[in-house]
Amino acid sequence: MQIVSSGVTDVGRVRTNNEDSFRIVEPLSLFVLSDGMGGEAHGEIASTMTVETIEKYCSKMDESKEDADATLQGTVADSWSPRTKRLQDAVFQANLNIFQSAQKHPEQRGMGATVTAGWINGSKLSIAHVGDSRAYLLRTGGLQQLTNDHSLVAEQVRRGILTPQQAEESDMQSVLLRALGAHPEVEVDVDEIDLLPGDVLLFCSDGLTRMVTEPEIAGKLQSETDPATAAQKLVDFANERGGLDNVTVIVARIQEESKGWFSWLRRDSGKKV
Amino acid sequence: MAKLSLMFENKLVKEVPIGNRPVTIGRSPDNDLPVDNLAVSNHHARVYYEGSRLVVEDLDSLNGTFVNDLRVERATLHDGDSIWIGKHHIKVDATADSVIPWDSGRKAAAPKINETMVLDTKARRDMLQQAAAMGERSQFSPGRLKMPTLVVLGGRVDQKEYVLTNKLTVIGRSPMATVRLRGWFKPQVAAQINQRDDGYYLGTGAKIPLVNGSPIQGPTRLNDGDLIEVSGIRMNFIFRE
Repeated sequence: MQIVSSGVTDVGRVRTNNEDSFRIVEPLSLFVLSDGMGGEAHGEIASTMTVETIEKYCSKMDESKEDADATLQGTVADSWSPRTKRLQDAVFQANLNIFQSAQKHPEQRGMGATVTAGWINGSKLSIAHVGDSRAYLLRTGGLQQLTNDHSLVAEQVRRGILTPQQAEESDMQSVLLRALGAHPEVEVDVDEIDLLPGDVLLFCSDGLTRMVTEPEIAGKLQSETDPATAAQKLVDFANERGGLDNVTVIVARIQEESKGWFSWLRRDSGKKV
Repeated sequence: MAKLSLMFENKLVKEVPIGNRPVTIGRSPDNDLPVDNLAVSNHHARVYYEGSRLVVEDLDSLNGTFVNDLRVERATLHDGDSIWIGKHHIKVDATADSVIPWDSGRKAAAPKINETMVLDTKARRDMLQQAAAMGERSQFSPGRLKMPTLVVLGGRVDQKEYVLTNKLTVIGRSPMATVRLRGWFKPQVAAQINQRDDGYYLGTGAKIPLVNGSPIQGPTRLNDGDLIEVSGIRMNFIFRE
């Protein structure tokens, strides 16, 4: 599958620091996004550590051997593919790195980060996440949320205590139940999704979803087919609405397969479609 | 100089500045900010500067110390925050010449976006318990697990029933669809069901599905017993125990 992707991160209109980080590793089709927290720019340290750790860890995966016996930091269900397990393990490692850094440097205590990572192998997407940064899939016009926020208000919605509307208006939206760096172990949610040509993946920090509604996001992703333009426009949108937080957006488009028997002729001509 | 304003039922009771020494709060009269109320422990909490940060610390009180509705053991305070102790409300005023200017750009943020906090396990349990007590309806009673199921009433598919276990369920001809449609001219993705925090949402694919006879207008939350019709298939969405 051919994938075209791009990412943008922005400090927003109110904050003085950008504590979001992201990485796109094109040869691996690996996408990582992290939103850091902690006073005095420690959030930047945490989120950078997160994306770097995951990038390094996933890059080392040896395709030729079965990875099931790689050192796993936490418990990983056997039913997942080796890629998914590796990605989950990478997140465990990132968590440990942040936690240990804060142990060594007491001024970093309290720093943490969210993470949402996607790794595509063939037509299968492995997702791992902790926190309230999100992954969405746009398919045939509909925007599907692929991750569940690990925030207090989202948990209240899941338990039927709040409606989604009330959750959006709550003052406690930033309260997280899970984050990287808080404890030596962390529970990482993973999932596998089958992708189709034409699908568009969106990874974003809450700086986007706080400011722009989902129908608006879906509209932008549909009208802007170039991922770089789409990502920039979404960031601009968030900033126009106030830019109250750092905002980071990654857009990855699974290319449509050329249809019909003329397709091999078109490909041969070497022209960009 | 920052200060704490003790309020009771919206009336100012006492105001104290916060200097180099911690400001103590509690029922006992030896506190800097005495609060005469049985729900307040003798030495309930204290507020002090830690470097440039203003911090509130609960002193193992019986009923807890809350900052903006969140129960805390220790927390950083910002201008405009409210400390709740018993029925008393203490306003934090940390404007102007604080000890060291601390990231003043942050404070310009709208009150809704607070600094991200992660709850530890005990605080999380307490918070959820409180939230549950405040809640009007609890859809999920812990004992019973409800399995969302699609029961096929008509049309050519590969199974009679489908239990929805995934975040995303595809109804279509595609080999990776959960509900696989049979037929040459069926779309790869006719419709999809997305599991969200508050339920299962049916969304369009190549087709616009009908729910209880009406075409959906965007992602629609499915209720127990709903009839779904799409691409020649009729199914009931039900919650099985």
